[in-house]
Amino acid sequence: MNTKKLMEDFRLPLVLVLLMAALTLISPRFLTVANLSNVLWSICVIGILASGAIYAPITGGIDLSIGVLAALTGIIVDIFMNRMGINWMLSIVFTIAIGAGIGLFNGFVLTRFKVPAFIVTMAAKTYLYGVAMVVSNGGMLAILGPPEFMAIGNGKTFGLPNPIFIMLAFIVGSHILLRYTVFGRQAIAVGANETAAKLSGVDPRKVRLIVFTISGSTAAVAGIVLSSLTQQTFAGAASGIELEVMTAIVVGGTKMRGGKGSVVGALIGAVMVALIINGLNLLNIPAPFHPIVTGIVILVALLLNQGGSPMKFSKNIGAKAKARGQA
Amino acid sequence: MTKRTNADDVLLDCRNIVKSYNGPMVLLGVDFSMKRGEIHALVGENGAGKSTLIKIITGVEPRNSGTIAFDGKEITHDHSKNAAQDLSIAVIYQELSLIHGMTVAQNIFLTKEPKVPGLPLIDIKKMNEKAQALIDKYRFPLKATDYIEKLSIGQRQTVEILKALSGNASLMIMDEPTSSLTATEAALLFEIILKLKADGISVLYISHRMEEVYRLSDRVTVLRDGKKVAVLEKEQIHPAEIIRLMIGRNLSANELGHSMVKKETEPVLEVEGLESEGEFSGITFTLRKGEILGFGGLVGSGRTEVVRAIYGIDRLDGGTIRFLGKPYKPSVKNAIAGGFGFIPEERRLQGIMAPITILGNIGLTNLDTLSRFGFLGGKRELVMAMDGIKLLNIKPAHPDIPVGNLSGGNQQKVVLAKWLIRNLKLLIIDEPTVGIDIGAKDEIYENIERLAREGVSVILVSSDLPELTRLADRIIVLRKGRIVKEFTEGVVTEEMVLRASSGLEEGGAK
Repeated sequence: MNTKKLMEDFRLPLVLVLLMAALTLISPRFLTVANLSNVLWSICVIGILASGAIYAPITGGIDLSIGVLAALTGIIVDIFMNRMGINWMLSIVFTIAIGAGIGLFNGFVLTRFKVPAFIVTMAAKTYLYGVAMVVSNGGMLAILGPPEFMAIGNGKTFGLPNPIFIMLAFIVGSHILLRYTVFGRQAIAVGANETAAKLSGVDPRKVRLIVFTISGSTAAVAGIVLSSLTQQTFAGAASGIELEVMTAIVVGGTKMRGGKGSVVGALIGAVMVALIINGLNLLNIPAPFHPIVTGIVILVALLLNQGGSPMKFSKNIGAKAKARGQA
Repeated sequence: MTKRTNADDVLLDCRNIVKSYNGPMVLLGVDFSMKRGEIHALVGENGAGKSTLIKIITGVEPRNSGTIAFDGKEITHDHSKNAAQDLSIAVIYQELSLIHGMTVAQNIFLTKEPKVPGLPLIDIKKMNEKAQALIDKYRFPLKATDYIEKLSIGQRQTVEILKALSGNASLMIMDEPTSSLTATEAALLFEIILKLKADGISVLYISHRMEEVYRLSDRVTVLRDGKKVAVLEKEQIHPAEIIRLMIGRNLSANELGHSMVKKETEPVLEVEGLESEGEFSGITFTLRKGEILGFGGLVGSGRTEVVRAIYGIDRLDGGTIRFLGKPYKPSVKNAIAGGFGFIPEERRLQGIMAPITILGNIGLTNLDTLSRFGFLGGKRELVMAMDGIKLLNIKPAHPDIPVGNLSGGNQQKVVLAKWLIRNLKLLIIDEPTVGIDIGAKDEIYENIERLAREGVSVILVSSDLPELTRLADRIIVLRKGRIVKEFTEGVVTEEMVLRASSGLEEGGAK
């Protein structure tokens, strides 16, 4: 039992280590602080988004609106600061509040009308894109913030880019939220068996409202970081990123059916994908080939990682037989 | 169907079957044989190896060693599921495998639909006719064009059987077929089984219900701990003997203790005139401290609906509830805060969270006492999970195992544990022991009785009459959403409850 559980828990980190070992052998430029910091920096927006978006799959849903929401909030924070002249800190607070509000609205629609999250957030993705087009006048906006704001994305602390620390803070915070709080436990329960959770006193509606509020808030944070980082933005700035986020989450061992999830796993998932791209770059493989390789690697990672499914027939029996052995 | 009446004609002959799943031995050299046109019961506690033996016979699982001959032909080591179908073995599964949104005919002929000659298109008319012919042959009250979701559980099971018949099954394996049937539906099933037998079809019957085994079987094979303990011929079959062979120890169950006990303790729950449109009306009763109140009646009589409404899951249209002398508004939140516990009817669908560990399942109802400001500390939760495991004797006693991997009995114990470690005042239990082996059943009974002694009031909904009469201090019988009978004193037999449930003696007694 214990060895099996250990294997399950460390399968993903093991693959990560093997991948890093392989890349170290392939290129001497790989195992350097500069290169690794670069890899982490490249996934900071994905990591922040994943820290909040992971609760939707854990409860058996999905949030497809996070990418467009990040772009929209990236534009909104600029409007607050530049067009309305609001203090940069207040602008950030307001922007996050707007992100949270949009997430809450998604949650409200899908719980109130009992529509699948997929449909509700897909619709949200579309109309939020429209809103982003309108407020940005359909063009590229240069982000002009005070130095403090620009430092969010471009400053460095202890020699590492700030976004890395922001991402790690969100990952750690989300890990604690999922593992060590009542909300986290209830989210997993709703995903595993909504009826059973309900009969045990969990309010699935409330849980889902919180889930999508978190998702919307972190999308706003990611949008702010992205704007500060790139110093310019437009409605399509983060389009499609929600799929990269989902890839990281699923590679990290979270079940799309719900009931199981790992925030740290999602981070490792994002790092793995980034490492592969990094490796391809170090090997000077032309960019058009990258998606082919990453696609295959994601597939292999998924097959390895989702192998421990509790639905797997023979495993079930094995555990039962074991149970008998101990009885 | 070819009719062969030679009674000694052996259809299936398994010898010295050995099976282990990465280490632990599940079957240790089991012999098992079936004759043509025989009803053969396979009995044993959960974990005795019944399901594994069946999986080996049907080829779902390969065996480690041993030989199987079917219809005189040797079956290879790794015969696949398809081969099992070729061999005309059909399994009527415990959890029904019909597809909702499809008709009876579509389900019966799934993957073997009759085609329009020369075209890869389904001949719907022909399919419906063929299905109806099959239905009529066995005089089932069904139509080929009925949709599955509109049928009762019992009717769905007959569709499963038809599906097997359409594949020309000569051996039909039924795993706990009556576990979710009402008494009437079960009686219909028994008739069907006897018809199958008359047609020369062998039925391998698995059940935890001794009276069925006693009534139906031509022979009984008893398994215990992966070994064949005995094969009993018709005249040797006695429920008490089978139980003794199955468990190899004595049960504490007192088979005759059916006296009702009048409690004079203070009322805990006073229910008056409860009504829910189309479900039930005029439900009035008082539940006292430490009392076990049994809810009898057929499935669909409104028992489950009443307790669900009291627990606050379904809405009420009328009536009042007083809890501990104060007016009470039903909601799940109020119920849990007030010290209610609720063990739902369907363990897998409503009770357990299969992918989550024992600890996570037990912890969920106790997050209020486990958490400080919304945060959970690891230690307290583990202590609580271990308490629950010990209290209910859950096996394996390991909090990190996903509940989906446990046996049915242990899954149900987890569902009980998550409530029993709380300070309960009222426990509502709906069909607590469906599909559970006798050992686990007895442990669950002991826990319910212990709770009542400790002053917890219990509402017990059960279709299992021995269970109902054994546990209850008082029995209310519902029929068509109304209370038709109340047994408060004296000895109550299963027959008396059944008669009231089926409307043979409505009204009258107090």
